[in-house]
Amino acid sequence: MKKIILPFLTAALMSSVFVCTAFAEVDAEIEGMEYEVRGDGTFLIGGPTFGFDRIMGAGGTFSESELWTPAKLRDRLLFNRMSGTPSWTPMAPAVWFKTGNELGDLIYQNLLPSDEPNPANRTPYLEGGFTTPAFKGFWATARYFQDDHFCGRTAGPRKQMVGESFAHFGENIPLFSTLYGGLGYTNSLVNASLLVGDEYLWTYTATSRWIPVHYSPRIEARADVKNVSVTLAYEDGEYKNVAKKEHGTRQEVNGSVYYKRGEACKKGMLQVAAGLAFRAVDDSGMVYTELEEDRVFWPFIELRAQPIPRLTADVMFGINERDWLVQDSIQFTSPTPKKMGIVAGVKNISGTRLNPLADTKEFMDDHEINLVADGQMTLIQGYAVFNDTLGNMNIGGRGSYWAEYGAETFDVEGYVDGSLTYRYGNVSRIDSWIKGVTGEIWFNAWYQDIFKFNAIAGFERLDGLTKKLEVTPAEYFVAFGGDWLINKTFRIAHSIKYRSDARWNLRSPDPMVVKGDWYWDVTFEERIPKYGIVFSGTLLHALANEVIEVPNSGYDRFRLVCTAKKTF
Amino acid sequence: MNKLKVLFVAMAAMVCSALAQTDSTALAQTDSATVAAPVSVQTDSAKAPQDYAFEHFYAYIEGGEIYPWGDLQDAVENTMYGGIGIRYSYWKNADGFMSFNYSYFKPVPSTKIDGVHQFSGKVGLDFRIKYIKPVVVGAGFACNFTRADMQDGVDISFENDLGGTLADNETEFGWFFRVRLPLFSYNKFNVGFNAQWEELWTLPKRSDMLTMGLYIEREIW
Repeated sequence: MKKIILPFLTAALMSSVFVCTAFAEVDAEIEGMEYEVRGDGTFLIGGPTFGFDRIMGAGGTFSESELWTPAKLRDRLLFNRMSGTPSWTPMAPAVWFKTGNELGDLIYQNLLPSDEPNPANRTPYLEGGFTTPAFKGFWATARYFQDDHFCGRTAGPRKQMVGESFAHFGENIPLFSTLYGGLGYTNSLVNASLLVGDEYLWTYTATSRWIPVHYSPRIEARADVKNVSVTLAYEDGEYKNVAKKEHGTRQEVNGSVYYKRGEACKKGMLQVAAGLAFRAVDDSGMVYTELEEDRVFWPFIELRAQPIPRLTADVMFGINERDWLVQDSIQFTSPTPKKMGIVAGVKNISGTRLNPLADTKEFMDDHEINLVADGQMTLIQGYAVFNDTLGNMNIGGRGSYWAEYGAETFDVEGYVDGSLTYRYGNVSRIDSWIKGVTGEIWFNAWYQDIFKFNAIAGFERLDGLTKKLEVTPAEYFVAFGGDWLINKTFRIAHSIKYRSDARWNLRSPDPMVVKGDWYWDVTFEERIPKYGIVFSGTLLHALANEVIEVPNSGYDRFRLVCTAKKTF
Repeated sequence: MNKLKVLFVAMAAMVCSALAQTDSTALAQTDSATVAAPVSVQTDSAKAPQDYAFEHFYAYIEGGEIYPWGDLQDAVENTMYGGIGIRYSYWKNADGFMSFNYSYFKPVPSTKIDGVHQFSGKVGLDFRIKYIKPVVVGAGFACNFTRADMQDGVDISFENDLGGTLADNETEFGWFFRVRLPLFSYNKFNVGFNAQWEELWTLPKRSDMLTMGLYIEREIW
């Protein structure tokens, strides 16, 4: 039995660990923005609350955060995306402080006479918080965090909407500013928390507008009891556009109940998990979006069948009176020599909406934008992964072919030009097949836990009506990473990567091309494990030109984030 | 500028004298309290690297002068600085440190602001390299917070006035390289000379500064 399981484990580990960790060593500026340090796909950042994050090997025309999955139950629903930012997941026991900045403020250079206008202001990142150690199981936490990056270019038009400071600190009009505190209880059976806070947030919508909402309060309760996870959130949101004299409120209750597979269940041939996600809203005045019938209940079930150790079939199926969504896959691990792995599989995603919990309509002036397209989409992907380990080296590759019918697009009826460009129309479908073929190859080398090197390159060729895609993704990428752990206490992790051109097709009269570029990210981390102290500094997107990666968004600038943390 | 040159020469002389001493037997006897080697010394070769952390801990005060470099000399005048810091053993031949200091810069051109308050936080590592003992070299990141000092009611434009952006809080990061020369020790006190090259990642050009000063350090444990 051990002989049978070992190759499977080896292959599974290699295909997941080596590919994923190639870019996981550099710290992201905030949890939920891990895609900003990845290099294996198209990752376009509009700000901490919006990003187009498409992993090349995943296939399909949509980005990862657009697809609802049970794994994202505790992510935030921001318009139609499941976002890890801003996270309300309590931090582990620690006290920490974090700050950062988009590099390039003038400071003393501003005292030198110049004929050029002053460059735009660079904006910071600010965070501080603590989580106490448990005392008889009880603990307390508080966190303030706001990310002012990406906000400078659009601060002017957005300030006209809110008319005043729209953050807990400063006047930069950041894309989110969150403050919460709460209590929790943890023992061997239960992990529960109740957080209460106040949050300023901007969401990016189908019309390319940034919509501001002030949650006061936002309350989130979580409880994990054995294999059951319950989440319940209450949001009292205020919406306004001072310039247009519009105002509205939305009181929302959302959450989920999720039964996960237990340890005993995981050993069975048929494994079952199930849950229910839900939202209910009470709107008053102008809140710019609408949820049909003011509520959505989303029951879902997950099944895993493993008739033999080499063959695994997974299904997630959810359905309600409006939508259905199924995500399934079958994966086979081929018999191979030790330290080698070959995996082949097929996956399918079909459904009426990628995110059935999202709002169904958006309103802009006199325009009503239908966010639900008729019909359904179907994505089919076949893939094969090869991995081989030779001493301290590992090589591998992955190829896939995918085809998607009924991919979501946006039928643009018109644009509204101003300092920013908005669009109106309706979400619809591409009633033909979009096909793609992808190929990736990677190489890893390591020496004990001191040094790791990785290199990965990939390409993708699309065929079909690609000009109707929201984003035509990059055709190829290459990325190199090197990580050192010196004296077991000082970590240097860096990656350098290149992505070819990507293109936004539908957000402006002329497509917006995001030129291909090199990016360099690096983290320096001083660890003092004996005392649980960590100091770190991360440079993000050095080398790259400062460009706008998402229509109506700010510049992706070279930035530095520093953290000081003491864990308990 | 003459003062700067004098300081440079003084520093060079001290570095040279320190280098010259690296062969002396006196410095090899690092346990002597009278010897100018106020750095933590470990002799247990079997110790794991992570076990050196915080084995020794020092607190210090420092002060001296900051010299704007290059074009920056036309922006602000030389100024004094003062601050506090801590240093702790990290590895066998390296110490970690954090410092926080304050300085007040006066603008060279005529502007609507009287001066600029600067608070600078620094984090880095000092390395004791045996070939240049007792000179210690270090590097790290700097985070400088600035705010203009100006009269109440002054109408200043963010876009157009010299120093207009400083009327709001401004923060910029950078990196620095420093050289420390221990001068003498007495009981738990160490006194030394500190020279530092700092570059802030500003636009349209980087801002470079040279810092020269003294520190007085006390071993806490």
